[in-house]
Amino acid sequence: MSTAMNFGSKSFKPRAPDKGAFPLDHFGECKAFKETFMKCLRDNNFDNSQCRLQSKDYLECRMENQLMAQEPLTKLGFKDLMEPPPSQADGDAEP
Amino acid sequence: MLLPVLLRPSRCCARVSGILTQCVRTPSSPAGHFLLRPHSRGLKGGGRKSQSQEERWRSRNKTVLTYIAAAGVGMIGLTYASVPLYRLYCQASGLGGAAVAGHDTEQVETMEPVKGRVLKISFNADTHASMQWNFRPQQSEIFVVPGETALAFYRAKNPTNKPIIGISTYNVVPFDAGQYFNKIQCFCFEEQRLNPHEEVDMPVFFYIDPEFDEDPRMARVDTITLSYTFFEAKEGQKLPLPGYSYN
Repeated sequence: MSTAMNFGSKSFKPRAPDKGAFPLDHFGECKAFKETFMKCLRDNNFDNSQCRLQSKDYLECRMENQLMAQEPLTKLGFKDLMEPPPSQADGDAEP
Repeated sequence: MLLPVLLRPSRCCARVSGILTQCVRTPSSPAGHFLLRPHSRGLKGGGRKSQSQEERWRSRNKTVLTYIAAAGVGMIGLTYASVPLYRLYCQASGLGGAAVAGHDTEQVETMEPVKGRVLKISFNADTHASMQWNFRPQQSEIFVVPGETALAFYRAKNPTNKPIIGISTYNVVPFDAGQYFNKIQCFCFEEQRLNPHEEVDMPVFFYIDPEFDEDPRMARVDTITLSYTFFEAKEGQKLPLPGYSYN
């Protein structure tokens, strides 16, 4: 929060998320996928590029369990992971 | 040679007083003429040449003053007109209300990650003093590149014996980087209810706009801090979503 009371400067304006809020996972249905993702992050020194496959799996789990609106994964920025890689050097997908 | 120059100010003063008295004497004279009316006060013999010169100066001054006044009035009018003009411009260019790096959902599909620029996103979690949840991030930092979607988790636990409804907002530091920080989906601005002794994972799905790399002001920014704060929400209270106007 901007705590300064100076009226001249701009204040931070939070924006609503594009697709709204995630419903809470009260029953832990996707907890396993989350644990896999967190483990991948810890193993890769918290480098997100290495763990995109796990994050894709987590979001797919959410969609299957009605915890997220169904959306083609290309629209969520995973188009590089969706391409069928015959022999494609896909650096992002390597866990 | 210097004498006429020295004498001029006194003549000007005399002339000004002459003009003023003439105004008083003839109030019905047209306003446009009083500056140019020749008068005989304070005038000696050889002063006619300088008198017409004074008249020319005066008329030129009057013209200049008129132009300046017109420019001033024009600027004030432009100030008033700028509000609807800006609205028209926004409609034409499609920027909507926020004239910043406008992001839209289609961009997520087509954006390319900027591999060379690695940014550290650190996470912070706060609760309001009266909010009894335990709220903390599950990772202290994550390394992303602009243009790549990323997932991060927070965890919240309700240690009390009664359900608590929380609602959160966020903040991004540095301030200027906040406009490039786009959340696709998160858990903020909506009421989240936790039952007694319940613990949930709260994900944030976001990306940094690829244009971040091209902004010269962001050239030295390597760390962005995302900070969430949870407040307790009263039953039935609705926070207005930022950016949406309810008409």
